[in-house]
Parts: sequence; C-alpha cells; structure tokens
Amino acid sequence: MKFEKELEDMIHACAQCFYCRVCPAFQSIKWESVSPRGRVYMLKGLKNKKIKLEPQLVEDFYKCTTCGACEEQCQTALHLVDLWEMARAEMVKEGLAPLPVHKKLRELALQTDNPYGEPKEKREDWIKGYKYEENAEIMYFAGCTASFRAVELAKNTVDLFNKVGLKFAYAGKNEYCCGSPFLRTGQRDVAYGLFRKNYEEWKKRGVKTIVSSCAGCYRTILIDYPKIAKELGLEWNFEVLHTSQLVNKLIKEGKLSPQKFSAKVTYHDPCHLGRHTKVYEEPREVIKAIGAELVEMDRNRGESFCCGSGGGVKSQFKDLAGAIGKNRILEAKETGAEYLISCCPFCKYHLKQMADEQGVQIKVVDLVEIVNNLAVKGEYKGDDIRCA
Amino acid sequence: MAEVKEIPKSDWAVHRYLYTRDISNAPVINLLLKQVDVIYQPRNEREVLEVLRIAKEEGATVVPRGAGTSGYGGVLPVKDIALLRLSRRKTIMIDFTRMDDFEIDEEKRLIECSPGAVWWEVEKKLNKKGLTLRVYPTSAPSSTVAGWIAQNGYGVGSLKYGGIAENVEKLRVADFSGVKEVEGKDLKYYIGMEGITGVITKAWVKVKEMEEMKYYGFHVSAKEANKIVFAGDHYAGLFLDSNYVKLKNEAFGTELPEKDTLMVATTEKLDGDESLGEEIWETRFYPMRVRRLGPGLVAAENVLPAESIPAYLNKLNKMIKKPHGSEIWYSKGRKGAVLSFIPSDERKFFSYAFTWFNSIRALKLAKSMRGVPYSTGFYLSSEAKLLFGGDYSELREYKRNVDPKGQLNPGKVFPVGVFPLAMGILQKVIP
Ligand SMILES: Cc1cc2nc3c(=O)[nH]c(=O)nc-3n(C[C@H](O)[C@H](O)[C@H](O)COP(=O)(O)OP(=O)(O)OC[C@H]3O[C@@H](n4cnc5c(N)ncnc54)[C@H](O)[C@@H]3O)c2cc1C
Ligand code: SF4
Ligand code: SF4
Repeated sequence: MKFEKELEDMIHACAQCFYCRVCPAFQSIKWESVSPRGRVYMLKGLKNKKIKLEPQLVEDFYKCTTCGACEEQCQTALHLVDLWEMARAEMVKEGLAPLPVHKKLRELALQTDNPYGEPKEKREDWIKGYKYEENAEIMYFAGCTASFRAVELAKNTVDLFNKVGLKFAYAGKNEYCCGSPFLRTGQRDVAYGLFRKNYEEWKKRGVKTIVSSCAGCYRTILIDYPKIAKELGLEWNFEVLHTSQLVNKLIKEGKLSPQKFSAKVTYHDPCHLGRHTKVYEEPREVIKAIGAELVEMDRNRGESFCCGSGGGVKSQFKDLAGAIGKNRILEAKETGAEYLISCCPFCKYHLKQMADEQGVQIKVVDLVEIVNNLAVKGEYKGDDIRCA
Repeated sequence: MAEVKEIPKSDWAVHRYLYTRDISNAPVINLLLKQVDVIYQPRNEREVLEVLRIAKEEGATVVPRGAGTSGYGGVLPVKDIALLRLSRRKTIMIDFTRMDDFEIDEEKRLIECSPGAVWWEVEKKLNKKGLTLRVYPTSAPSSTVAGWIAQNGYGVGSLKYGGIAENVEKLRVADFSGVKEVEGKDLKYYIGMEGITGVITKAWVKVKEMEEMKYYGFHVSAKEANKIVFAGDHYAGLFLDSNYVKLKNEAFGTELPEKDTLMVATTEKLDGDESLGEEIWETRFYPMRVRRLGPGLVAAENVLPAESIPAYLNKLNKMIKKPHGSEIWYSKGRKGAVLSFIPSDERKFFSYAFTWFNSIRALKLAKSMRGVPYSTGFYLSSEAKLLFGGDYSELREYKRNVDPKGQLNPGKVFPVGVFPLAMGILQKVIP
C-alpha cells in the first residue's frame, strides 16, 4: 500500500488512547480490527510490514459507516473519516477492494448514473404535478434515494417549496448521483465523473444555491465537491444548504408558518448532517418552532449514535447495520417519544426497519414530511416513504 | 469442555498483532517483547475460570487486558528468553471488553463493576442518580475499572480522595485455584499488581454524591500552586507549566497565556479565573493531544512530594533540550504526579530512541528528590523495591505462592530476567 505523507502523519499521531471505542461497529463486533484505534494500528502495521494486506483485513476495514463518532472523540484530533477513505482508495488500487456489493454499485452507476441501476428517464417521475423551473438560482438536488426509493421525501420537499412560493430549478434526468457511495468506499474515479456532470449542469443553469434533502448528498456537495473542484482546477462558488436549514430560515423570516404539532418527539442526528457538517441546531429549531416537545436521546449532537446504514455498510454487511440500528432504536424508545424525526432518507428507512423488527412503537419520519403536512393540515398523517 | 468453543477467541495474525500493544512505543526494548498467541474475550467469570483452566493445562502464560491504555508494558507479553526461560510458552490474553456491566448501590455509595466496565460509562449512569466517581483517571473515556485498579495510580479527585487504591472497597479475583473475594489490607496483593497475582473479575469502588463544583484558573508558579492546592478541602488540582501550555496551544490551536497555570476544582469559593479554570477542566481528558506535534511522544512520569516539585521542574527543564512540557495532578498527602511530555517523531529511530533516555534521566532526578516512579509494569520493574517499600518481600512471597510457575503476566511488576538488570545499569551510566 502507498502511504501519502498526510496518511502517514496521522498514523503516527494516534495516541492509541481508545477514546474512539464509541465506534458503533466496534460496539457491535467487539474486536479491535473493526475499531478506529485498531484500523490506525493496522495501517501502521501494513506500513511497517508487520502484517499483510489480506482479504479479511480489508473486509474489517469496510465495516465502518463513516459516521465520524471516532473523530469527535479523538485524543489527537485526527481526521479519521478522511483517513478511512484514503486507505480504502489505496486498497482499491491494490485490487483487494471494493467489496462485491460495492463493486456492483459501481457497475450500475457507470451504466445508469445512479447506484440503484434505475433507468435515467425514471429519475424525474416523482416530480410530475409539481411546479419547478428549468433554470433558477436555487437548485433542488433530490439525490438518488429520494428520486428512486424514498420519493415521499422529494415530494414533500417540493410540495413545501410550492406552498411557500419558492422559485427553484430541478435538473430532472440531468441530475446525477452525487457520488457519495463511491467516495465513501474508495472508488473515487466514479465520483469524479459524476461530479463533472452535476457541476456542468449547475453552471449551465446559472445555479447559485444547491438545496438537498439527503444528508449524504449534502455532505458530499458541501465538503467533497469543493475539494474535487480544486483538484480539477474548477471554480467553486455555490452555496449549499440542507432542507432543514432552508426550512428553518423560511420559518424565521416569517415566510412559512406551520401549524402546531403537539407531540412528543425525539431527533436523530444523521452523521453526515450532524458530525460531518455540524448542522445540529437548525433541525431542532424547526422542531421547536412547530411546538413539538423535543426529548433528546442520551447520545445526541456530536455524540449521536449512528443508525448503521452509511458508508456502504448496509449494502455489504446487513447484520452489522442491523446490530447498530437496533442499538439506536432502543435508545430512541427510552425517550418515550411518539415520533423519531430525522433528516436523511437512509436513517429514516433503516431506523423504521429496526423499529418494525424490534417491535418498537415509534413513528419514524423525516422533518420535511412533518413540516409540509403541517403547512396546510393540522395533523401529520404519517405517509410512509417507499424504500426497497 | 463444551463451553470452551463458545468463548469468543481469536488467533488471527492481525488480532495477535493488534492486541500486543499499549500506548507506549519503546525503541529497542520491544525486541524483548513477543506477540500474544491467542486472545479470549470471556463474557462472565465462569468463562474467565475456563480460560485459566486452559492456561494451566497448556502451561501457558496469561496476560489480562482492559483497554490497553497503560504505558508501562503491563499488557505486553515478554519473551521467555528475556525472562531466562529456555522453552517458549504460549501466551493467552484475556481481553475484558465483553465484561463491562456494572451496578450502582445508591445506599452504600458503591459501584459493583465487572472488570471491563469503562469509567466514563459508569460516571454517566451515576450522574443520573445524583452520584459521581470520587476518583477517575484522565483516560476515563476508555480505560476500564479493573485496568486502573490493576495498574494503580492517581487521577482527577485524588487531591481529596487519594489514588484509586484508597477507593476500592472489595475485589473478586480469579487464579488457578478458583475465585476469592478480598478486602481491607489484603487488597494490596492485587491493586497495582497488574494481574500477576490473579485476575480481577469484579470490583466494588466507592462513589460520592454530586456536588456543585467550580473551576478556577491561576497564573502562579509551582511553588505558589502548592500553597493554593493544599490550603483548602479541594477536589482536584492540575498544574500546567508554561512549556506545556505552549505545546497545548500549538496542538489545540488555542491562545492560552503561555504562563505557569494552575486549575483547582473545588466546592469552595476561590479568587481565581473561572473561565480559565473551566477551559483547562474541559480539556482534562486530552493530555496527549501534543502527540500530534511529533508525531510521536515520549513521556516521563514520577510522583514527588509537593515540596520537591518546583525544584524538580526547574532542573528537568534545564536537562531536556527538546521542546517539552509538564503537567501535575496533585494528590492527598502533599504529593504530585508529574507527567512530562516530549513530542518526538517516532519515525526517526535514533533521535526518538535518544529522547527516551530523558525518561530515565527524569526518573533519576526524581529519585534524588525523594520521588518515585509512577508505576512499574514491564519497563520499570527494576523500581519495584522503591515503589513498594516495606511491603516488597511480602508481596513477592504472595506472588510465589499463588503462581508458583510464573504463568500470570510474567515479567511485570517485580524484576525478573535480564531487562531489569539492564535498566539498573542504564540508570547508572546515563548522565
Ligand atoms: C489519555 C490518557 C490519560 C491517562 N490518564 C491517567 C491518569 O490520570 N492516571 C493514571 O493512573 N493513569 C492514566 N493513564 C494510564 C492508563 O489509562 C491507566 O493506567 C488506566 O487506568 C489503565 O486502564 P486500562 O483499562 O487501559 O488497563 P490496561 O492498560 O489494559 O491494563 C493495565 C494493567 O492492568 C492489568 N489488567 C487489566 N485488566 C485486569 C484485570 N481484570 N485483572 C488483573 N489485571 C488486569 C494489565 O495486565 C496491565 O498490566 C492515562 C492514559 C491515557 C492514554
Ligand atoms: S467513522 Fe464511525 S463506524 Fe467508522 S470507525 Fe469511526 S466511529 Fe467507527
Ligand atoms: S481516539 Fe484518536 S488518538 Fe485515540 S486511539 Fe482513537 S484514533 Fe488514536
């Protein structure tokens, strides 16, 4: 494996203190080869040729949701998620990764521009009946999951935009996967191709602000895209917003006055929205603005526990995703809340599945669904998003 | 036995490599260390006994492991040849990750912990009941209850409540002949013994009611700090010398005044700077962030009488030529544990190895000023006599009786084989 200086410095800066034991994968599996400390030490061992790069090691390296909980606690403030992604990219170069399911996603994305392998033309099916522009300063980026699987999220978002009279553009079948699944799993080349397509589309349409209702897309466009643009020598001057931020802004500016929602709710910080991009307060402000009683889970904001589905874990390691998700849904149950609100289609789908499996009586919903329902009706009807 | 197969275990090469590690990275000395052969993760005391039975049957050595956050080599297996044994013995590690449950006895103000219970997890649950730990190490977010007891030491709260040794009520321990409960004066056979006399399977530790604590900062010298720290009935005291504050600023990107700084945590009202005090309190779990600056770190840790600390720091600062800094956690009995950090790039073999000599020089200096090393482990087993004083012979005798074949964590705490001799010589020859 090749060790760039940045990667090597991080490996040597690790104090081996194990504050990163909070890792949801380690908490489930209990062996250090799936802990952040163990991974850093494995990289050191590979560098010093004390251990060999072997399939089991690579597999354990991928048992990570890229949730960033390790980074939050890190004694030496290491950028661990970057480290995992750099290391995974090297493993791909060595030919021992990506793992089978991740490879499959790659093939699908190369053919269809989305990891679900859905026909490109179907991407815009969900928006029929809603008003949008071809060109506008604000671009709604629905993302693959909301376009093909969790269409209710996309629908509720644009429905809300229509209600408040927000002028926005939507690229339809010219919207492409943001590339997140490929960046997270070390397949950077695929992500670069997708970046270019999206970037050109946005430039062509005179976009200034990109709004996403998916935490994963938001993180990718906000954090990864500027870096890729820089690498490719392209100018980057887009403002990037998550729907929760936009909704909060609209409420604060008096442009949106949803009716009251008198229920006890708890909020799950999606890792890519919370820890990765530090959007902790806006969703909570929206929840307070609609008058719901917010009961926090023990682990919240920076200490929030992952839902278990990110980083390619759910697609490749179902049991692990299940063990992590179970832990989180039981924590949500402890609060006694009626609703578990999140701001990410992956978290919602996975936590809902966990609630069903564990027989936990809690309604798992996205923030935008609640707000949109309250913007006209008085009561949330609990439409389910369709996820396969 | 049928259960054996069920105990989670691994002998995968990568795990053997991963579990043969603590926070130290000792140059040259690591030639005397070997890898563990198999790691067991028992889930209960019965399984611990089963692993001990296997070890006995196979003539294997046993190394217990909590979170592996100690830095004296206590969790690192020593080569048999270094212990002057000609035949190679198998090494079994008992990792307590899966034994992390605990209970709170509110009435008795006690916690009853399985060995792998993590201090800060315990604290969070205690706080919900209006209780709190009396003492905890600054590694509390990860280190285990039995790990700290077996290692022994001082930490947050030691100013008022002493070291962990003074806060253990009772222990349950397993060895090759079964399980026993020990309390009172017999606790000394296990606290700070790093598993060489038996494996801790349960610990009862004293806790207290939560109190409203205030944190004060002072820009004072080490001499002045002694006066403030020991003047009242304070909970915790931490001194950062100006050198350490400088490193801390660099590593954290903060702008604390680069002066000698004292933080006191207390229920009393003091005339100090609260925002400074709080800032230092908030980062108490991050003493090693300065490792970034190496990247790599060499540490020296000694316990000194409070009166000796100012002169010790003065001499130490003149002695160590590289950028370095010291922090001191004060303890009951007018003592302080002085921890000095020297960031050093561990990839540069010679300069890193040379930097390690500073730990030995710091130890020599401390000893000349009525100080003692913080711990023994493997690296400083040569210092056991000094550390245990009058108890030394009795403790060694106890060890011989419970573990006649030297299978329990061999090479730790007491001097055995070539290395302690070499350490003794090194101390003599290093200027
Ligand atoms: C950031 C940081 C801060 C620290 N702060 C402090 C501090 O304030 N005070 C302090 O004293 N130390 C401190 N340490 C050192 C270390 O954390 C402590 O010694 C710690 O409590 C060890 O716990 P552990 O669970 O990591 O034990 P380990 O390192 O795993 O083990 C320590 C010793 O105990 C033995 N052992 C482990 N479990 C058992 C058992 N069940 N039965 C018998 N023997 C056992 C091991 O064999 C080993 O010899 C710090 C370390 C770090 C990284
Ligand atoms: S990012 Fe999350 S899952 Fe991955 S190592 Fe860190 S804590 Fe574990
Ligand atoms: S918290 Fe950071 S420094 Fe500590 S072991 Fe984990 S990665 Fe290393």
